[in-house]
Amino acid sequence: MGKAMLEVRNLRTKYVTRLGEDVYSVDGVSLKIEEGKSLGVAGESGCGKSTLALSMMGYYFPPLHYISGDIIIDGQNISGMDPDKVRTSVLGKEIAYIPQAAMNALNPTMKIIRFLEDVIHVHEPKATKAEIRERAEERFISVGLGKEVLDRHAVELSGGMKQRTVIAVSTILSPKVLIADEPSSALDVTSQKLVIKMMREMMEKGYIGSMMFITHELPLLYNVTDDIAVMYAGQFVEYGSAKEMVFDPLHPYSHGLMGSILVPEEGTRGMNLTAIPGTPPNLKRPPKGCRFAERCKYATVECSYVAPIEKKFGENETRMYRCLKDEPWLRKTYEEEQGGASNE
Amino acid sequence: MKGFAKYYGKRLVWYLVTLVIAVFLNFMLPRLMPGDPISQLVSSAAAGVTDMNAYQKIVDQYTKEFGMDKPLIQQFFIYVGNLFKGNLGVSFAQYPKTVSTIIKESIGWTLALQIPAMIVGWILGNVLGAVAAYIRKGWDKAVLPFFLFISNTPAFGLALVFVTYLAVKAGWFPVGRGYGSQFAAPVASWEFVASVLKHYQLPFWTMVLISIGGQAIGMRSMSIYELNTDYVKYSRFLGIKDRKIVMYVFRNAMLPQITGLAMALGSSVGGNLVAESIYSYPGIGSQMLKAISARDYPTLSACTLMITIMVLIANVVVEFLYAVIDPRIKAAQQDG
Amino acid sequence: MKQILRNIFHSPRFVVGFVIFCIVLLLSFYPMISIFTPMEIVGSGFHAPGTYVNIKSTIQSRSEELKYVGAAGLANQFTAEELGKMQEWLVKYGGVDQTVVDEAAENDNAFLELWTSTYSDDVQYKATQAYKREIQKYNKQILRITATDTLEIGEGDSTITVKSNQFVNVKNISNKVTLPLGTDNFGADVLTKLTSAIGVSLKMGVMAGAIATAIGLTIGLLAGFLGGWVDNILTFFTNLFTVIPSFVILVLIANSISQAGRSPAMVSLIIGITAWPWTARSVRSQVISLRNRDHVNLSKLSGHSTARIIIQDVLPYILSYVIMALILQIGSGILGEAQLSMLGLGPSTTTTATLGLMMNWANTFSAAQNGQWWAFVPVVLAITLISYSMNLMNTGLDQVFNPQLRD
Repeated sequence: MGKAMLEVRNLRTKYVTRLGEDVYSVDGVSLKIEEGKSLGVAGESGCGKSTLALSMMGYYFPPLHYISGDIIIDGQNISGMDPDKVRTSVLGKEIAYIPQAAMNALNPTMKIIRFLEDVIHVHEPKATKAEIRERAEERFISVGLGKEVLDRHAVELSGGMKQRTVIAVSTILSPKVLIADEPSSALDVTSQKLVIKMMREMMEKGYIGSMMFITHELPLLYNVTDDIAVMYAGQFVEYGSAKEMVFDPLHPYSHGLMGSILVPEEGTRGMNLTAIPGTPPNLKRPPKGCRFAERCKYATVECSYVAPIEKKFGENETRMYRCLKDEPWLRKTYEEEQGGASNE
Repeated sequence: MKGFAKYYGKRLVWYLVTLVIAVFLNFMLPRLMPGDPISQLVSSAAAGVTDMNAYQKIVDQYTKEFGMDKPLIQQFFIYVGNLFKGNLGVSFAQYPKTVSTIIKESIGWTLALQIPAMIVGWILGNVLGAVAAYIRKGWDKAVLPFFLFISNTPAFGLALVFVTYLAVKAGWFPVGRGYGSQFAAPVASWEFVASVLKHYQLPFWTMVLISIGGQAIGMRSMSIYELNTDYVKYSRFLGIKDRKIVMYVFRNAMLPQITGLAMALGSSVGGNLVAESIYSYPGIGSQMLKAISARDYPTLSACTLMITIMVLIANVVVEFLYAVIDPRIKAAQQDG
Repeated sequence: MKQILRNIFHSPRFVVGFVIFCIVLLLSFYPMISIFTPMEIVGSGFHAPGTYVNIKSTIQSRSEELKYVGAAGLANQFTAEELGKMQEWLVKYGGVDQTVVDEAAENDNAFLELWTSTYSDDVQYKATQAYKREIQKYNKQILRITATDTLEIGEGDSTITVKSNQFVNVKNISNKVTLPLGTDNFGADVLTKLTSAIGVSLKMGVMAGAIATAIGLTIGLLAGFLGGWVDNILTFFTNLFTVIPSFVILVLIANSISQAGRSPAMVSLIIGITAWPWTARSVRSQVISLRNRDHVNLSKLSGHSTARIIIQDVLPYILSYVIMALILQIGSGILGEAQLSMLGLGPSTTTTATLGLMMNWANTFSAAQNGQWWAFVPVVLAITLISYSMNLMNTGLDQVFNPQLRD
């Protein structure tokens, strides 16, 4: 077992709305990513996955607020750190972020190289312009962007180019953890493939220590990440290796999502996680019992009153699911359904 | 690059067409009114003129040079032809001075006053707007409303107030004129320069104060918009310091404000010109007021034409300058 | 509708603007209760603000004797320099302590007492003859103030003797006049003239603003809704007149109309027809964003006429916008009138003043250069307050109708 690059323990954060109401969008998330590994997080929109990405940066500004939990990057706990110290020594260098809307993530009136200078100067105040340019050119060429991009303004780049530039800028300091929030969802299929390819190459070349990839397009994850977690209403409902998650999902929610995917293929579109009827609960007042109970077809009365805890199993407890029903019952039920379906 | 050049070529042609129309209006508008302007002028001005012979001579000369007895359209071409030769006629009121001499003597004063005042007002307004957007509190609640109030004062009104309180009562500034009365005409000496600078202060700061509020309010809303953009969030997550991010924001908010500069110029030029005359400043504004009260038609017409041309040039300069320094515009033009 | 109004009156900016505007509007009713008509000549040129009491009727009024000594009004009878010289004498030659003199200088009567007890023309001291003569002159004046118990006015039978402890109740004086803002160069009461001018200028502003908004709205609607070549032509002219300063067009037209023809209505018209381009521009962009909305398309498919679609499906959506534009146009109409009047191209009138004309007169008669602030400061303030209140109301409305501007 490799060394853990990122470990999150029971992280809780909240949004405070304009009217002063609390929205608990990340409500007790724990995860672990080993060196050189990647984790995919899937969930429908509003499940808290983007908030999870922001919360993991360890730097909070309104309306997002930290409540409790630990974020440990390469053995260093950043959750209790002074915000200024987080900015100067952690952000960008230890943990980097790729935002959802890459279209507007770059300052439109700034040349890319100028922005890179500012980014690098935060962590290496003594770096000269020439050194930075040399490093940037080398990195941009190696990720297939070309060095001429450095002297362009963000507005002069196409959508796909912009997204790949954002990835290259975010990872210029070779961060230990990269958090990518739907980096490809706004792109066309070709650009999307390029982005995925680029990120995989960067992992291989060691530009990124480990990665968390967030998306609402589940099929993407099978090919991109080693592990997959499914998020629902501010919590992980299940996680495991990509293979296990796709071919042997346990939680009824994951099962509902995965069951319909026969052969996950890179770039398969249209498989959004909205296939299950109903809407997620209001996180201003989370339900007392299982958060999925209202939409679960196997739910019993108990499910609405008792909140399920995380159940772990497998070698090194790498598999987790959050359901009141036990593993054999779920497997049996799914098999019977499968059998019934093939008999018809 | 090609689309860019083509677009601005088109813009330049548009401005030329505008110039032609402006010249045409300047010529046509007074003539559209009922009655022959020359005879009207003669009758209305005759009362105040002692030397009727001299006056008649001016009118005759004007009639001949500008072909006032010919059809309108022909008159227009004569007018344009004379314009190219720099011949704007002879002043009715300051005979035998030519109108072009009057303009030459006064235009420098106006440009030297109004352009720096606009630019300084623009800079101060933008700084105030940015500070109000970022710091809020007292700036937003007291300082900005104060300057908004000032900017709603007509420039000539503020000029009158300043003359009374700062020049007459407090005695801090000279009461009026462009330079001290010990100089009969501009001379090249340090004393003259010092005198000019002393007389420059009050008109200059009047115009600056008036323009701050309008610019500040525009900058404030632009800055608030920019502070909420995605690149601010992204830059934060890369660890960049707030001070630096604020600089990004203000730069991006300030660039579109350059067009605000051109707009302010067009709308405030009138008030500023009248303010000039309150300070008896030897610029176009004072000449224009004099021409109106003396019914000196050729001088007035030349003044309005010069003002239009100056505003047009300012618009062209601002538009092209903006396109050069804001890459967003360039990219937008290349797309289209 | 009720909800919208409630929102509007919850916007602090709008409320402040509205209150200021109402106060100014209320002021414009003052001429109805004023004892003067706006153009009535009360004085002979500039008189400072204050209550003017007729001297003759003061003397003739029933007087009462008071024990109150009152102020001798030294400051009115001596200059600061002269008073200083007397104080200097007291210290230098009178042998009085500086602190005693300073204390006495605070109170006229104490000073008079100190002076009369210390100085007399017989006192010997070394100084130039000129200096001595000057001090003697001051002393004489002081004696006039102190020694005279009574003052005789008139000759023979009509002589009236006024005692120094005789007072007249101001209420009993029949002939007096209060001029809160003094008089202008014509000698007219500034307050009455100003308040009536506010009314006239507001009317002119509303008229100019309404004309400008009507033209701008029509052009903007046609250009935005019809599109195509109509749009191209109208936009061309709109842009043209936004670049050519409206001030120039205003001056050119106003100057071509004879003095007699420039009635207030005519001037408003001229201002109105030069001020429309900004309104046209913004209405056009609003209409373009509306043009392809579903309800408009539905109306088109239903075969409704263009006029009906514009009135029923477009106009209601841009109404708030038009009202805001109108408010701004009224403010700039008032400023435009002032500007024209300052140039001597204002409305020609003998019965009413406008704010611009009042400023122009004050300027022509060098009120600013002579420090006669009351002739123009209230006028400048009135223009500024009107314009400022319009601006506040406009931004207040903007925040209500465009919530994304709320911060």
